[in-house]
Amino acid sequence: MELEFMDIQVERDCFLIQGSGIFTPGIHLVSGRVGSGKTTLAMIAAGLGMPDRGVVRRQGIGSVMLSMQFPEQHLTGSTLESEIASWRLDPDPVLALAGLSGRGKDDPFSLSRGELKRLHLACIFSRPFDLLILDEPFSALDCRGKMTTADQIGSIRAGITIIFTHENQHLPRVDYLWEIREGALVFLGSVPEALVGWKNKPAVLAELHKRGVYPKNLSTADILEAACRTHD
Amino acid sequence: MQDARLRLLTVIILSVASFLSVAGAVAAFFWWMIFTPGIRTITKSPFALFFLGFTGSVSALLWFSGGDGISYLVRMAVILLLAFYAYSGRAPGEFLDLSVWLFGRKLGFDIGLAAEMSLQGMDILSDEIRRIRVAFQLKSIKFGFRSIIPAAGLLIHSQFARAEEQADLLAVRGYRGGGMVCPGFTRAKGDLSAFLSAILPLILAIMPVGDIFILLQ
Repeated sequence: MELEFMDIQVERDCFLIQGSGIFTPGIHLVSGRVGSGKTTLAMIAAGLGMPDRGVVRRQGIGSVMLSMQFPEQHLTGSTLESEIASWRLDPDPVLALAGLSGRGKDDPFSLSRGELKRLHLACIFSRPFDLLILDEPFSALDCRGKMTTADQIGSIRAGITIIFTHENQHLPRVDYLWEIREGALVFLGSVPEALVGWKNKPAVLAELHKRGVYPKNLSTADILEAACRTHD
Repeated sequence: MQDARLRLLTVIILSVASFLSVAGAVAAFFWWMIFTPGIRTITKSPFALFFLGFTGSVSALLWFSGGDGISYLVRMAVILLLAFYAYSGRAPGEFLDLSVWLFGRKLGFDIGLAAEMSLQGMDILSDEIRRIRVAFQLKSIKFGFRSIIPAAGLLIHSQFARAEEQADLLAVRGYRGGGMVCPGFTRAKGDLSAFLSAILPLILAIMPVGDIFILLQ
């Protein structure tokens, strides 16, 4: 099972994004600044957008899901129950997972964006997908929500998961690291080896880098462990 | 046609001509063919085919029930083509300029602002429809007749929410009615000739074609 970008390029006025690479099973983190083209790449990866040049090849991938940045963009139901049912899921466990038990009859628009994001992610994580693309999964969430989401992503074991984000505080454990640098998608390699070459790394990692310390992965626990690590 | 004032006046004249008679509508269609980007004005609007199809259906119903469906189809289709031309040719802020130029900084500003917000809402509506289709696609739900009610509910809800946000924003910025705008208009070389040519369909619509030939003799 793999997704391959073969010399893809998208150009819109002053904006250009290009890249090549193969996404294999595991969790991939694609890091990039705001406006660097993450959503464009996410749409292309999901088959909802086409590159101006190049080819996107999918091999052995059946089910595909794109989680868009804004949770209201996924709404098709007029109550929380009907929204969850539209994902072909049983409402009660999903509501419990989202921390919204007993609110099945509520209007989705009566929720805050953070609550809606929790509900949307609960729906996403309740079903397995061959290719799961998460565009800014931490947006609209508070610190606790981000940490829970990072744990949930980190526990995905099957298929290809690609996270497109500019988040640099609460991240999940990932297998592979990518970075968007000046309009180009760059594969940095497997984690933790890839952390050395991460150009726009989070401030905490940059600080650890100065001390010559590298965490085993990107979760809060891994970073804490690295920060508290004593040299032999 | 770059001058918004001439464009509006032209569209009004041609719409009246089309509404009054089939001859006026046919002449207005020829004007549309000559002076506008033609078919490209339709492809720019996602609603164009829907409205043209709807007009076609109403015309067919009229025809089957013994009414003059053909006349209705010709006249309404040309009016729609002119409306799509006016819609596709507009630039942001143009209606505000035009309205202030016509009605002044109090009433004109309010009407212009409402028109600009409505037009912006139509653009957003197109994006929302596209977004809802993607949501249905991602959930592997066929976007069909059964989707209309939930989709319409979402659209209405999001439009109300946006209207509320815009109202709050205007209030925060101190809007109490009226405002300062210095309208500016640019005129292209062919604008005046296009406008003057639009008078011919109106003459054709008002005067029976036979009378025109008598006058010519």
